[in-house]
Amino acid sequence: MKYSILLAALLSASSLFGTDQIQTVDTRVIQQTNAELQLAIAEATLAKKEAAFAQSEAIQAKSALVREKAAFAQERADREEEAIEMANAAEAQAQAEAEAQAEAAAEAEEVLKANSTMYISVVGQGVAPMNTTSPAQAYALAKRAAIADAYRAIAEKVKGVRIDGQDLIKNMMVKRSTIRTSVRAMVRNANVVETTFKEGLCEVEMEIVISHSDFAQ
Amino acid sequence: MRSRDGNRNLTFRLCSIILLCSLALNAGEYLISYRYTVKDAILYNEILHISHAMKKCEGKPQSELILENTSDGNLKKLISQNSEEFLNYIHKLGLHLKHKEKTLNLQNTSTTTLTMKTTCFKVDINDNFAKIAPLK
Repeated sequence: MKYSILLAALLSASSLFGTDQIQTVDTRVIQQTNAELQLAIAEATLAKKEAAFAQSEAIQAKSALVREKAAFAQERADREEEAIEMANAAEAQAQAEAEAQAEAAAEAEEVLKANSTMYISVVGQGVAPMNTTSPAQAYALAKRAAIADAYRAIAEKVKGVRIDGQDLIKNMMVKRSTIRTSVRAMVRNANVVETTFKEGLCEVEMEIVISHSDFAQ
Repeated sequence: MRSRDGNRNLTFRLCSIILLCSLALNAGEYLISYRYTVKDAILYNEILHISHAMKKCEGKPQSELILENTSDGNLKKLISQNSEEFLNYIHKLGLHLKHKEKTLNLQNTSTTTLTMKTTCFKVDINDNFAKIAPLK
């Protein structure tokens, strides 16, 4: 029993000595760890500083970008305003030009108003046929044709012309081009003003006075 | 008993009635139509139809044409003798115009037709003058 107690005491004493040796080793590791920790802390501080610097730079850049953006937006708004002003000016100018053109057209093209008359003068042309028996017959026939042409011209002026066009294109080429015009009208009270007959061509100048009441429904 | 003046008045009335009847003896109604066609600026054909009206026409005489009568009451002869004047008169009355033009591959052809549709004319032919007026 005594031996066993002694043995236990010895073991505990030996274990105590062993523990001291182990603690010595642990102290070195802790010192090393502390140094690394300090280094890491320094690095972290540095990184923090860098981050703060980057953040400040970012804020500066952001503010600069915002300023630039605002300036750009302002410039864009100015440009848009200028463009709108220019468009308005162009529109006003176009309107003024259109009004001027309409006035000029109204001046150039006489309009028949109520309680007014209009004088229309045309020239018709006719040709004598080849197989006439005498110059007198040629003249009479050519004059008749010229009068018909003058009637046609009067009708075209007063009533207008219907025009139809048709083009036939095959293999990228125009095969047939057709234009058809037609007029239908009733002409009365047209007067022959002057007749000339020269080299087989008869020209007849005709005039007609039309009034608003002629077209009253 | 009748007085001489009354008899004279009666005779005058009778004579005037006979005279008026004789003047209106050749009065009649005629149907006239006219058409001419011009093709490519050359007169193609011209037609003037004159015929007696088989039925009495309705309407009142409008603007009249007075021609000198030298043809014993024959309207066709009378018109042929004064054709230019009569055709001018018809033109003044008014003609229907129908014009068609075709341009095929830049070559132009045209046809113009002037027509006076069949119209009833009252014709009074006296010894010296003939009075022609359309009834409308």
